Amino acid sequence: MGSTQVITATTNRGAGVMPASRRRPPRLRGSWLAALLFIAPTLVLLFVLRVIPTIEGIISSFQKSVSALAPPSWAGLNNYVALFENGDFLKVLGITGIFIVLIVPFQIVVAIFVALLLNETFRGRGIVRAFIFLPVAAPAAVATVIWGIAFQPQGPINAVLESVGIPGQPFLTSPSQALISIIILMSWIGIGYWTLFLIAGLQDIPGELYEAAALDGAGWWRCFWSVTLPNLRRTLAFVIVADTVSSLIAFVPVAILTRGGPAGSTRLIMFDVYNNTFVLGDVHLGSAEVTVLIAILVTITAIQFRLLGKEK
Amino acid sequence: MALPNRIGSTRPRRAIVAVAAWISGILFALPLLWMLSSSFRESGDIFTSQYPFSPFILWPRTFSFDNYLTVLNGPFGLAAFNSIFVTAVSVLVGLLLSSMAAFALAKIPFRGAGVLFVIIVLSFLVPFDAIAVPLANQFRDWGLTNSYAGLIIPGIANGLAVFALRQFFLGIPSELAEAARVDGLSWWGIFWKIYLPLSRPALIGAGFTLFLFQWGAYLWPLLVGTNSSVMLGPIALTTLATAQKVDFGGIFAGAVILSLVPLILLLIFQRHFTASIAATGSKG
Amino acid sequence: MRKHLRYIAVAVAAASMIGLAGCSSNGGGDGGKTTLTMLMADPQKNLQPAIDGFEKKYPNIKVNYEYVPFDQYNNLVEQRIGGKDAGVDVFDVDSGTVGTLANKGYLVDLTSDFAKDVKNKSLPAEYEANTFQGKLWSVPMWDSMQYLYYNKDLLAKAGIPEPSQDPSKRLTYQQLSEDAKKAQEAGAKWDLLFDQINRYYQLQAVIESAGGGSGATGKNLLTADIDNKGWVDAMSWYSTLFSDGLAPRGVATEQLPPLFSSGQAAYIISGPWQAATNKADKAAVKYGVAPTPFFEGGKPAMSTGSWNLGLNPASKNQDAAKKLLQYLSLDEEGNSLTAKVLGISPTNKVAFDKFVAGLDSLDGTNTAGMSKLTNEELNTIAVNRPNTPGFTQLADVTGRAFDDIRNGQPVQSTLSSAQKELQGLWDRLK
Repeated sequence: MGSTQVITATTNRGAGVMPASRRRPPRLRGSWLAALLFIAPTLVLLFVLRVIPTIEGIISSFQKSVSALAPPSWAGLNNYVALFENGDFLKVLGITGIFIVLIVPFQIVVAIFVALLLNETFRGRGIVRAFIFLPVAAPAAVATVIWGIAFQPQGPINAVLESVGIPGQPFLTSPSQALISIIILMSWIGIGYWTLFLIAGLQDIPGELYEAAALDGAGWWRCFWSVTLPNLRRTLAFVIVADTVSSLIAFVPVAILTRGGPAGSTRLIMFDVYNNTFVLGDVHLGSAEVTVLIAILVTITAIQFRLLGKEK
Repeated sequence: MALPNRIGSTRPRRAIVAVAAWISGILFALPLLWMLSSSFRESGDIFTSQYPFSPFILWPRTFSFDNYLTVLNGPFGLAAFNSIFVTAVSVLVGLLLSSMAAFALAKIPFRGAGVLFVIIVLSFLVPFDAIAVPLANQFRDWGLTNSYAGLIIPGIANGLAVFALRQFFLGIPSELAEAARVDGLSWWGIFWKIYLPLSRPALIGAGFTLFLFQWGAYLWPLLVGTNSSVMLGPIALTTLATAQKVDFGGIFAGAVILSLVPLILLLIFQRHFTASIAATGSKG
Repeated sequence: MRKHLRYIAVAVAAASMIGLAGCSSNGGGDGGKTTLTMLMADPQKNLQPAIDGFEKKYPNIKVNYEYVPFDQYNNLVEQRIGGKDAGVDVFDVDSGTVGTLANKGYLVDLTSDFAKDVKNKSLPAEYEANTFQGKLWSVPMWDSMQYLYYNKDLLAKAGIPEPSQDPSKRLTYQQLSEDAKKAQEAGAKWDLLFDQINRYYQLQAVIESAGGGSGATGKNLLTADIDNKGWVDAMSWYSTLFSDGLAPRGVATEQLPPLFSSGQAAYIISGPWQAATNKADKAAVKYGVAPTPFFEGGKPAMSTGSWNLGLNPASKNQDAAKKLLQYLSLDEEGNSLTAKVLGISPTNKVAFDKFVAGLDSLDGTNTAGMSKLTNEELNTIAVNRPNTPGFTQLADVTGRAFDDIRNGQPVQSTLSSAQKELQGLWDRLK
């Protein structure tokens, strides 16, 4: 019933400001030099901090070190073959895939819900916002240790569950619950962060759009789908991409709490890289794995951009 | 009458909203409230009170300030200051550089803007921890280890911040820039006098991104800043976790202190997050 | 023109900021003095008396100290010594890693300088602990040993007789489990704990006692053997600890010692540091110290070894560094001072005798008899970690297998897949 017109901000919002007597001024001329100077510092840093080490890493992935005393020698695709031949790496990719598919939608949906809630006016809103943000403020390693304690089979969460008659759960000690437990822990940290951006995005939506929708007789639900969400698109694009990327490189909870177990059920890719590079000292294998990870990151980001960023 | 996007359009609805929000808030805060209470516990109490169900899960059996005294008497004091300094500089310089880059990519028409943007964002997709080691070796060759600069530099270029700011700048109509141009402002003038003041929410968001990256940095300071004069907070905390014994009470006390800074900043800035942009005249 | 000037000014300011900051950290050497840098896994205050003593003895040498948190230490060694960082002279070498580090070229061969002294002046097991392929690569600094601590009150409540302090009457692990079950029935919250419950360091003793060997065999110690009968037997017993509820799942090792020191655990197998933890805890638990158990049908074995010191091949002050090594390891005064703050066991024989004599009174009547016990155990049943070039892989793979078994995964299949994984990793090293 009724049109599902999408009301979006049009580009002539500012048109009303300009006196009618003035003609539209000529389009701004681009200035290559100015642009360059604005971008130069970031570009230089990017080069030094990312491009060069990445190229070094990619080169390293094609090498092998026989001994620390001799320079590394060429190994062609050996490291990659060793990676994929070993069923373990494929398992790591599988676990990471399941992880992403679960955690990203979960965090986004909950963050939208919380952002909507926190965008309302009620008493003590500032404090509640601070509470939601608290997990982001705490040092990650300490927060992880605390959740490790919370998840203990004889810990606070089971204490509460058992006091209402639900049997205690194994959480991190069981291959079937460990990954979900890590997802809960990471979402607890991430949601506060994304909520901040979503609140800013919500604030950004001009009130007239809602007024127009009200005139059309739209209720809350229709309003949400035809006004709020489309206008959140830019913010959502950012949040979804950033969430996917940061989840793909999730590391601290696995390193501290499970070391990839039980039975490899939480062995995410970043932990695998760390283990190969640092613990086992095989830098070149680690480099190969990082290269694969970067390729995955770039691909996923590119796909998401395409799907989400149509309105540039 | 409330606008249709307000959930709390009637009295009972407002009450439900408030309750739901508060419950969510408390659930989120619980683990850290536990940490807060544990920072006041004595060492034997920390791991022996969480099962079975009792009010002692969240309340110390005996209240003690020992942990805070221990922690502030050690290297942590200087480390906390170092963290504040390094992070503050990183955020200020980083915001400047990121917003400059984002502005150019969003507003200055030049060939290859789109491509450059993609390259910048892609480059920062490389997980920092993955290139930290070769980068640390490079910094060592340049003599930047154990210095504030060595700690600050990786924090002032952040693809996520550039991304977020560019998204925001794109949403500000170009007519503003065009009008300013007619008024004789240079690109820098347009940037500094027009766009930046309009961008407070995005700047705060990007600022927090930069802040959190530096405030919580662990691997990098470990690689290039283990000298006690430049040691940062999170590293100093780990001095309480030796091979023989881990002082959890001290760690929690230190963590509470370290968490206070972003929290206070959020409380201060969250008002600006919601500042109306009515003053600009372009959204009115 | 003006805007360009502004950009250039900013660039110059940034560059000078970086340059200045970079300069300030590279303090040049002050005339005549040599500066040595120690890279260590203990906070500076633990080694400060030893550093002061050394600087007093050698006024021309200054010691600079860099601390790395213990759980990141091996990674940092990999990055800095592996990166040929001349900024480190002397560094901590964990027992068991000597072979790995020597193999990678991260250590200087110290045979001609110190082999004779280590044989003569240090505890007997230390020479072997610091050699790889016949050469001495590091010098010993600290040692460790294990005891069975028991809570007198909880044992009395359950009617369990206290274990004898006589090593010839030591309990078996199996008997201990039975006793722990009685304590559990009598209401003890925690029954039988290991303080490093999922680490190779401590479990190696259980496995060796069950006849499983260290897991590293073959000529160059690169043939894995971690699913033989001894390993399976030991791990089967270990898994019953958790399935019977005698020890908890999901509790990190650092969180275990306070469970005993607060008086809520019946038994804990741990090192001398547990006594210090007990003493510092306000609960003032009443406890006794007994010999570490052995596996039924097998021979007694006890974990040992701790930190040693190595010399960085990239160091530019090797002669001065050797003086530091001599002082901290082989000089009775220096070695004593290194162990003073922590109360850990030094490796110099004379220093050790003094340390052991003090054990009896470490915590009042609780630690009575500890000196005699320590002497006898260290001389008879200590087992070193194997100096295989693949030690980090061994510790990592077995550590994760221990975790899985602790969490209830089947013993045989877990050990079998760990065996495959470990051998695969070691094959890449050959």
